[in-house]
Amino acid sequence: MNLRRAARRWSGYLFVLPYLTLFAAFLVAPLAYGLALSFFDWEMISPAPPRFVGTANYAEALRSEYFWKALSATFRFVVMAVPLTVGLALLGALGVHAAPHRRQTVYRAAFFLPTLVSVSVAGILWRWFYCSQFGLFNAWLGRVGIEIPWITDPAWAMKSIVLMTLWWTVGGPMVVLLAGLHQVPRQYYEAASIDGAGRFMQFLHVTLPHLRPVLLFVTVMNIIGGFQVFGQTFMITRGGPEFSTRVLVQYIYETAFTHYRMGYGAAMSWLLFAVIAVFSAVQFRLMRERP
Amino acid sequence: VGRGAWIRQTALGLALLAAGCGWGRGDQAQVRFWNGFTGPDGRTMLRIVREFNQQNQDTRVLMQRMDWATYYNKLFVAGIGGRAPDVFIVHAGNLERFIRAGFIEPLDDLAVPENGFDPADMVPAVWQSVARDGAHHGIPLDVHMLGMYYNKRLFREAGIVDEAGEPVPPVDRASFLDAARRLTADTDNNGRTDQWGYVFTWFRTNVYAIMNQWGGRFISDDGTRCLLAESPNPEALQFCADLIRKEQVAPTPESFDSWTGFRQGKVGMVFEGIYMLSDLRKQEDLEWGAAPVPVLGERPAVWADSHVLCMRAGLDPARRDAAWRFIVFLSDNMLDWAEGGQVPVRLSQLESERFAGMPAQTAFATQLPHIVYVPRVPFIFEFLTEYDAAVERALRGSLEPGEALRDAAGRVDRAIARFRDAEARAGDRP
Repeated sequence: MNLRRAARRWSGYLFVLPYLTLFAAFLVAPLAYGLALSFFDWEMISPAPPRFVGTANYAEALRSEYFWKALSATFRFVVMAVPLTVGLALLGALGVHAAPHRRQTVYRAAFFLPTLVSVSVAGILWRWFYCSQFGLFNAWLGRVGIEIPWITDPAWAMKSIVLMTLWWTVGGPMVVLLAGLHQVPRQYYEAASIDGAGRFMQFLHVTLPHLRPVLLFVTVMNIIGGFQVFGQTFMITRGGPEFSTRVLVQYIYETAFTHYRMGYGAAMSWLLFAVIAVFSAVQFRLMRERP
Repeated sequence: VGRGAWIRQTALGLALLAAGCGWGRGDQAQVRFWNGFTGPDGRTMLRIVREFNQQNQDTRVLMQRMDWATYYNKLFVAGIGGRAPDVFIVHAGNLERFIRAGFIEPLDDLAVPENGFDPADMVPAVWQSVARDGAHHGIPLDVHMLGMYYNKRLFREAGIVDEAGEPVPPVDRASFLDAARRLTADTDNNGRTDQWGYVFTWFRTNVYAIMNQWGGRFISDDGTRCLLAESPNPEALQFCADLIRKEQVAPTPESFDSWTGFRQGKVGMVFEGIYMLSDLRKQEDLEWGAAPVPVLGERPAVWADSHVLCMRAGLDPARRDAAWRFIVFLSDNMLDWAEGGQVPVRLSQLESERFAGMPAQTAFATQLPHIVYVPRVPFIFEFLTEYDAAVERALRGSLEPGEALRDAAGRVDRAIARFRDAEARAGDRP
């Protein structure tokens, strides 16, 4: 009897053990290591051993102009990219959903295709598109006498990164939202139309409330991904011009792996984590509240 | 977001695994060789390596290439972890950092004529670039300096020619400004300049050369202070900014694709590295010439860097011997390498008939007495980050040159303080 009880008690843990091992070894341990590192001064270039400095790395980050500049570049990206991505994905999903069933697969694939391109390829491609004089976009715009300094002017560069990101990433959330749309029971629409609701009212009172959890998921994932933006800016502008697109992840990467300041890099990573955590928490609260 | 990076890392991992497991016969000495030659230069290097492997059946060199951008990060981390490759390339400008990290072997006991290498055959300034406290930390393979490329057709159209009608590249400030003004034009008469006398391609090298021509200094001799903001650096940078805004013979950085612009025949003159030769050769409709960078300041000076072959510290004697033979073989074969757009650094190669048959390379090589490397400091990456930022702000006109340089110097000073602090703790210095 005892044995059976013990088995029942421990069998659950046995089932999660394989995953738990990997999770602990490759996620929890490095995270803990990174957290510990953030309290040390470790200039990897010097033979001096790491030295405990308390919260000095965090204090340095909060005083550093470069840190705030990188954080604000990141914010500018998130503020522009997330609403546009989610909005466009929703529009796209509604459009595809309205199409005849047979053609939906084709449209969905078309939206999703760019997502399959690796960021290096997409980045190089768009860098060519964005060339001031010989790029594709300015060649088109030149015909109507417009020339846009896409990635060479600090005022434009981040907007161009956002535009490329939209093309590249809108397919993912769109597919998820489309699946969400398919889940909405038809009878609600029928009931609403009997009550005299037009297409827009149906969207507002039937579609949106049903999509809420899916929208929450898509938005939160996009915000988290947005704060971690790196590949696009690194491939297209390398953070320039004048650091206008040097986002926090790139600055952390340069601090840790070009300047070899491991402790300082780790501290900034944890600050970024804190920002993301706060935003995700707020997001969950807002979206959970019933109207 | 980082899928590309994953694929690359996996590929690298597999390659390293393969290298570690050792493909080859048991009695062969293996030499792992890392570099960042991912362009056409990589194909040349691979050919030389294959030739070495064929001629040396007892040794096998495994070459690994990766992008320079990620190369140094990987090399440094590998070195710190004790897994550095046996032979690897470091740019002379970055050498200090790797020497401080302690994983580069001084080669003075090997670099003697009995071992097939005569230091007296090296260009002294280049040989000096790898010397620290009397020890030499690698064998420089080449030197790639800045030079001037100019568009011969535009020169003829602007009338900058001699009696025979041949284009005459400028040699000093007056002739440079005169040529630049005459080359700048609005060819389609729409009120906007579409042909430029000059364009800044790589801000760093262009401005570094000009600042040195003015007599600028960057770090104090004792390595404790950044002199970037001190005269004549602001004046030199002002001259550069004036080319864009006052003289208007160079386009603003945000409106022009600089190097492509030159390739497309929209620019009269550019200062670029000799390594751009292979790119220009592909542009068949462009009639270009190569010449020394004109003296815009008080004295001639051009930015330069070298690929230095370094050996990992602590190799066992057999492998050390194999690595050395490979290094000598590469150095001996640098005329093949020079074909692709490099200047060799052995006097015997520079004086050879074969090198005399490379007109662009020989034009660049006349500048050998005036080459300047970046400051020889361990905080070189921090310095260059700030230097690049200051130059960019000044050329874009978002800050006055003096202000931009002061800003940068302050930050470099803080980085220096950090380094000195760390070194003091390590007991390196009193």
